[in-house]
Amino acid sequence: MKRRYHIPRAAERLIRSICKSDYTEEIIGDLYEYHDEITGKPRWKRGVYFWFHVFNFIKPWSIKSFEGTQNLNHYGMFKNYFKTSYRSLRKNALFSFINVVGLAISMSIGILMILVISELNSFDSMHTKADRIYRVAGNKFMYGQEIDIPMASHYIGLEMEHQTPGIEEVLIMRDGVDVDLRTEAGAINIKGFYTTESFFDIFSFELLKGNPETALLEPNGVVLTQSTARKIFGDKDPLGEPLEMESTGGWQVRNIVGIVTGVMADLPSNSHLQFEVLVSMETYDQPAISGTGWHKGYKSVHFWKSTHVYVLLDKETTPLAIENSMAEILRDYNAEQEHPVTYTLQSMKDFVTSDKLGNRVGPRFSRKQLGIMIGLTIVVLISACFNYTNLSLARALRRAKEVGIRKVSGARRHQVFTQFIVESILLSLISLILAIGLFLLIKPAFINLPNPASSGHDMFLLNIGALQIVYFVTFAIVLGVIAGILPSVFLSKLNTTIVLKDAGTIKPLAGISLRRILTVLQFALSIGLIMSAVMVNKQYQFAVNFDMGFNTERIINIKVKGDYASKLEATLQRIPEVEQTSISLMTMATGQAELARVESEDKEHKGRIFWNSIDEKYLSMHNFELVAGRGFESPLQGQTLGNQVILNEHILQSLQLGSPEEAIGKFITIHGYARGKYQVIGVVENFVNTSLNAGHDSDIMKEKNFGFIQGMPGFSNGQIGVKFRSDNLVDLVQKLETAYLEFDQKHPFEAEFYNDQIAETYRAQKTTVTLISFLAFLAISISMLGLLGMAVYITESKMKEISIRKVLGAGFVNLMTLLSRGFAFMIIIAAFIAIPITKYILDDKILGQFNYRPETNLMDLLSGFLIVLLIGFFTVTWQIRQAAIRNPSDLLRNE
Amino acid sequence: MGKDHIGELEELVLLLIVMLKEDAYGLAIRRTLKEQVGRLITIGAIHGTLNRLEKKGFAGSSYSQATEVRGGRSKRIFTITVSGRKALQKSRDVKVNLWMQIPELALK
Repeated sequence: MKRRYHIPRAAERLIRSICKSDYTEEIIGDLYEYHDEITGKPRWKRGVYFWFHVFNFIKPWSIKSFEGTQNLNHYGMFKNYFKTSYRSLRKNALFSFINVVGLAISMSIGILMILVISELNSFDSMHTKADRIYRVAGNKFMYGQEIDIPMASHYIGLEMEHQTPGIEEVLIMRDGVDVDLRTEAGAINIKGFYTTESFFDIFSFELLKGNPETALLEPNGVVLTQSTARKIFGDKDPLGEPLEMESTGGWQVRNIVGIVTGVMADLPSNSHLQFEVLVSMETYDQPAISGTGWHKGYKSVHFWKSTHVYVLLDKETTPLAIENSMAEILRDYNAEQEHPVTYTLQSMKDFVTSDKLGNRVGPRFSRKQLGIMIGLTIVVLISACFNYTNLSLARALRRAKEVGIRKVSGARRHQVFTQFIVESILLSLISLILAIGLFLLIKPAFINLPNPASSGHDMFLLNIGALQIVYFVTFAIVLGVIAGILPSVFLSKLNTTIVLKDAGTIKPLAGISLRRILTVLQFALSIGLIMSAVMVNKQYQFAVNFDMGFNTERIINIKVKGDYASKLEATLQRIPEVEQTSISLMTMATGQAELARVESEDKEHKGRIFWNSIDEKYLSMHNFELVAGRGFESPLQGQTLGNQVILNEHILQSLQLGSPEEAIGKFITIHGYARGKYQVIGVVENFVNTSLNAGHDSDIMKEKNFGFIQGMPGFSNGQIGVKFRSDNLVDLVQKLETAYLEFDQKHPFEAEFYNDQIAETYRAQKTTVTLISFLAFLAISISMLGLLGMAVYITESKMKEISIRKVLGAGFVNLMTLLSRGFAFMIIIAAFIAIPITKYILDDKILGQFNYRPETNLMDLLSGFLIVLLIGFFTVTWQIRQAAIRNPSDLLRNE
Repeated sequence: MGKDHIGELEELVLLLIVMLKEDAYGLAIRRTLKEQVGRLITIGAIHGTLNRLEKKGFAGSSYSQATEVRGGRSKRIFTITVSGRKALQKSRDVKVNLWMQIPELALK
């Protein structure tokens, strides 16, 4: 007999590997028999039939489940963990709810932070050579102190290009393209840089049209971003089109007769460099038509204002070697300098996030800023974790029996531990879903918060991608482990026999001291955050409502971009609602400032001074208080710059000019743009010019010295202040605009209320206030949820005690005192911890650096404590009331 | 559709189990189904149905002696249970009852 009843080995193996072991015997047996049955058929048919049946055995009922043979224990155990966790969460709905809500609230902030961090990390990642791109940063001696700025001289760039080995490309860029263009859709403003031709060699920005090699080579070559090109030219192909621009950037006006040589893709929001237009550096060689910003010697070693130098190193060169070469280039120059210049290289990954150097060409988000935000987020997260830990520990008693039974049935300690960790991870994953929902709610608000450092650019998109989801889940799991670790350790440690013999013998509130510590810490965090919110808000309100020392009410400032200021002023004065007008260079007290060095006549006393150029009507219109002397009396005749100055009282001290009366008639020398010798004709009372909140790293911005001069030395920019008496503002602004358009159709009409401009100056601080208040609100909601949970638990477990006390005659007030004493005590301890620490950090370290400060009073210090106490009191009372008003007989009847 | 519901193929297979007695195993049932009813079904489908019947408690099974033709494997012989019997009877009764109510059809 032929041994024909052998089925293919592969079939047998397949069935064995896929099907449940219970079935394989029968299946393979049947397959043998079937194989035998079809032997009469042609060979190929046999194969097809047989395999058809083999594959037909792969059905849901036959396939091994994942709990399959070998890993049965692990999988089964986790399945069991999930099941018990789910049941336990459902059974304690209130506790689960409190935990889920608390965790979700804090996690939504965590999600926000994860996205912010991951987007910050993605900055400039589109450049393929990013790891070799560096920016030259220098230390500049300005106004009597050294300042690190991310700029360098054109000179050093050229020198490096010519003689430094190890550098593949050098890119030099200059600020100063700022153009108003009339298009069919209305006037638009485009800003950008002059740049050398290596731009597209260093950066990986895509040039959609035009040749990247030559686009920025010739004079007047202009590269537009795609959306700008569309705004200007519509659907027409912009390549080769002429573009006449009058650029007013950088204290100068120059006519650029540009030719569009390229269109590049719009800049992604995560680029450190933001602009609408690039103009070839050769264009800058043509002199400006007015303004002092252009120097024939802009390529000289001294001149490095507004110049950005980027280098692309080759693969073998270290930044240190280049820094040494730069020092070498400057050695002769530095030898003669009182303050030698040192250039360093800043790596591309630090462009946006550096603490030391700002980013002048796009958004900035310093690591310090990020650190503070992460810190606050962690505070809120910890608070939510504490809730979980606290509530789980408090409920330990109820779960003790479960643990006992598990252990008796053979569970090891680590298995019980895993079970509780799984439970908290499950909870945290549920919260994650809610948290993502919450995050989507707060996302628009966060994106719209003015970020002072991003200089008007949208830094963050906060989009959620697949990678981010992975981050979120990891984050949720980590958070679950952190929240669950303490209760898990505690519960898994329980002694089986004791638990099962008599549950009463384990301390009902085991871990009580740990729990108290956590609760106190949680309260302390809430108190601290509320205090911070109150104090930062106070500083903000203080700044906005501060008496500047001059009048800003009912004044509109109109920007003037041309030499028509006096003609426009005459027209404006004919509008009936206009009470008074005056021309000045800058808007005071809004952070606009021109700083200069100043000397007394004998050159013995030196100082720094902020100055503004004004006309003869300015002081009276803004109600500056003259202490001595007089204001400017008549318009300047024939000359562009007056030789008289009006000082404030601060500078009299710096230059030792004596009393206001004595100072009149003395001479001082001002350097910088308005250089010259001036005679003091008046002294005004001190007022606030520099931002009230200037602080942190800029001593310069705290300078309170101030002087007014008359006339505008070479500037055609300025503003007209209009004091009005009308209440019909819409009508007024329309009339002003009509007048403006008579003289200037090229530039958009820009007018703002003075008070709005001042409020705008403090917008950055408003952001801080909003953020801190929001976080304080979250922290307090979370800790109150926790408090509610604890109150529910304690009153529940003391129900009998309450009833007996009631029977014995205790009143509602007695019960209240008895039950809320513990909470009040914890809040008081928390206050003792939180108040001094917050005061130290906020009052002495952060706000203490501000230029002008309100006094911190007792109410500010106690604010957090009182609010927490009040809310805590209401939460506890509400709970205890439930217990206290119940009829004791209902509870005690069954005893 | 509760657990006691019985499907059409299930009913056929259950009837065949009763019919084949000691020889009621997967391949034999398939063969009989083909010969008697004229339906060709894959062996996998028969096994699925048998397992389902066992799960529902309509059939039980035991392993027989190994045979050489099966490569040394034993057969899994199915037998009907009491609830299987009841289910068959119920299914028949329901149909008979319905037939009785439509005499014009029953006459044909």
